[in-house]
This record gives sequence, C-alpha cells and structure tokens, in this order.
Amino acid sequence: MLTALLPQLLCASAERLCQSLISMDSGAIARLKKLQGKQLAFTVREFNLRLVVTAGADRLLFNQHNEVVDCAISTDLASLRQLRDASQLTRLIKADALQIDGDIQVAQQYSYFLQSLNPDWQEALSGYVGDAMAHKIALSIGQLQQYMQQKAGLLEQSFTMLAQDELLLTPGSLELQQFSQDVSEISARVDRLLARLPGVKE
Amino acid sequence: MTEPKHDTTHFGYKTVPAAEKVSLVANVFHSVAAKYDIMNDVMSLGIHRLWKRFTLDCSGVRPGQHVLDLAGGTGDIAALFSRRVGPSGKVVLADINESMLNVGRDKLRDLGLINNIEFVQANAEALPFADNSFDIISIGFGLRNVTDKAAALKSMFRVLKPGGRLLVLEFSKPEQQWLSKVYDMYSFKLLPVMGQLIANDKESYQYLAESIRMHPDQETLKAMMVEAGFAEVSYHNLTGGIVALHRGFKF
Repeated sequence: MLTALLPQLLCASAERLCQSLISMDSGAIARLKKLQGKQLAFTVREFNLRLVVTAGADRLLFNQHNEVVDCAISTDLASLRQLRDASQLTRLIKADALQIDGDIQVAQQYSYFLQSLNPDWQEALSGYVGDAMAHKIALSIGQLQQYMQQKAGLLEQSFTMLAQDELLLTPGSLELQQFSQDVSEISARVDRLLARLPGVKE
Repeated sequence: MTEPKHDTTHFGYKTVPAAEKVSLVANVFHSVAAKYDIMNDVMSLGIHRLWKRFTLDCSGVRPGQHVLDLAGGTGDIAALFSRRVGPSGKVVLADINESMLNVGRDKLRDLGLINNIEFVQANAEALPFADNSFDIISIGFGLRNVTDKAAALKSMFRVLKPGGRLLVLEFSKPEQQWLSKVYDMYSFKLLPVMGQLIANDKESYQYLAESIRMHPDQETLKAMMVEAGFAEVSYHNLTGGIVALHRGFKF
C-alpha cells in the first residue's frame, strides 16, 4: 500500500536536506552549474531501488524512475562503503559488486560536488541565536568532538592493554612479530633439511 | 457510471443542469482558493505531495520538454515540472478558475519560478492550444470537476504530441472494504468539519467528498481513456486506491 510512496518520501527528504546544505554553502551554486541537467542513477541492489539525481539551477532533484540517464551506478550495501576508496573501484567492478553504465565522469563530478560541499553551519545558526552564541556553540561542538576522539583513542588503548597484558587474550605486536619470525626461521630450516635429504639417502 | 451527455449532470450527489455545473464548480473553487494549500496538507496529512511526486516520476520528464499542467490550481505539479524541464523547456499551467490561477501564480513567483512557466485560463473540454503541442499533460485532482470528461480527454489527446503521455491523478475507489469504510467516515464526518474550521466553508468540502464518490472508478476511467484514443493505458493505486494515477500514451 505504501511501497510506491516510501521512495517518494525518501526523495523528498533527500531533496530538502541537499537544498538546505547547498543554501548554507555560498560557493555551491556556482559549482552546481557545471552539473546542470546531468542525471545520475543510483541503485542499491538489496532494496531494488533506483534513485535518480538531477542537478537543477540551484538544487539537486531526486526522483525514482527507469528512464535513460547519463550515468547509472548499481551496487550492493557491502560495497557501498568501499566506493569512497578510488583504488578499490577496479576490484569491485571485476568482482561484479559494482556496475557502471554511461559516462563515469558524471559520477565523478557528482562525487566531487558532494565532497566539496562545505555548509557554513555557524552562519545559518547565527540567524537564530546571534553571532556570539553561534560561535560559542560551534566552538563547543568542536571541543566536544576533539574530546570524544581523544577519549575513544584512550579507551581503545586501554582495551588493547587489557586484552594483551592482563587477560592474555591476544599477543602483543612484538610477540606476534617474534612468533612469525620464528615460524619463518623454522620453515627455512625445514626447507634446507629437505634439500639435504636426497644427499643423505645416497 | 456514465456521464450524462446533455441536459443534466452531477454536482456532488445533486443532479444539476449541465450548463450550470461550470459555474457551481467555479463557486466552490473561488471560495476555497485562498485556503486550498493548507486544506490539502491538513486533509491528506501532507501525503498529496507524495502523490504529486509519484506523478512526476511516471511522466519521464526531460529537460527541454513542453508540459501542460491542466487544472493546475495552486501550481504544485507545475512547480515540480518547471524545475525539471529547465530553462529550455516550458510548463503551461492551465486552470478554468481565475482565483486558483491567481493563487498559483503568486505562489510560483514566490518560489522564484518565473522563466519557464506560462499561465492560461482554459476549459479542459476545449483546450486553446494547437494540435500536438505538448510532450506531457498532467491533470491532478481536476478531472472529476469537469462536466464532460470524455470531451476533455479527447481535447487532451488532440494537443498531446505523438509519443507523449497523459497522467491523470485523481481520487478513486479504495481497494479494501475496511479502508473504504474508514475513508467514508473520514470524508463525510470529519472533512466538512475541517473545512468549516479552517476554510470556513463546509459546503465546498461536502461537495469534495460527494464528487469523489461520483467520479469513475479505476477501470471505468481507464476505459474512458482508451475510448479517447490513448494507448497502453495503465493505472497505479496509491494509498490503497484512495487515489489512482492513470497513464496513457498517444502513438
């Protein structure tokens, strides 16, 4: 009953979100001009859903249809994360996890546009709470982010120490190195021994 | 349901002289024009926007195309099309009602959509355009108010280019019995009250509920489109059939 309308809701929300992001970035519309009229289709195989993005004069338009587009990308959820890493693309295409039809430059241009979007949150926020408050909030968020990163790093370090030194669940990196060195040494000795065997037999 | 050809026609549940329907419908829309958008949002909980987007997706619209948005009212569908046909395309927003057209014109101007939209006051039964003028024609929640639907469909067929599509978005018949009951209760009990509270006009929303019931169901409208000359006519039920989108091609 709602299957036809859910993708519409998704498209409308994506359109709204992109519109606010673009309006917060003063240089975005000029960069968008290069893309104007170009269509990129994106299919996620698990959902059997094909979203088409079209660049308008001052916004990105989202639709869901099966008409011809400039470039069509089809992939699955697992490969979606690896798409950011350009060196993985060839491997994904070979493994049939990623399919690209049409002009790949269009996909690259869209990717570049989205990555270069730099919304000025502070400016937008200052309209509601004033310049000083907006700056303070942005500063606090920045500090919070830094603090969280620091804490996450510390936590990770503590867990590693706990697992390696206290609970002895995993070996330390030096131990592992030593172990693999020993293994290689034994393997080399076995090889040498094997090479000498025929001579001993005679 | 058959559409009376002469003398009398339906106006909601009432039977009125055919010549009077246009002015009766006009009165309804003169009365609701100012509150039309907010009532649409309240009545459908905003879902009408998704129905209209779905219409757009079924149109296959491309930059540079010419689109006619018939009974375009306050310009929701025209706005969607305008952004997609781009500066090289054209959207004609046509409505028989001047008040609705004025509201639509103001709204689209406020949205900054001026370059590729034209406004025409026109009767769908006798469209004032040359043959084969448009790539796409859409009529959203308008066909049920037209007195002679067969003539309107023929007129649309005439102005559509070969290869073009007609999209009719209109209230229809719910697929499930239970939904039909809930929907009836909603339209006849709640809707007129909401109309009274928001638009201060109970009768117009009573007419809306009645006119929906008198409108041809999915299969009948499909047959009417085929009769008018459209090929590959199909329809999608939306929200359980409360609304249906019919699509036909001219070859």
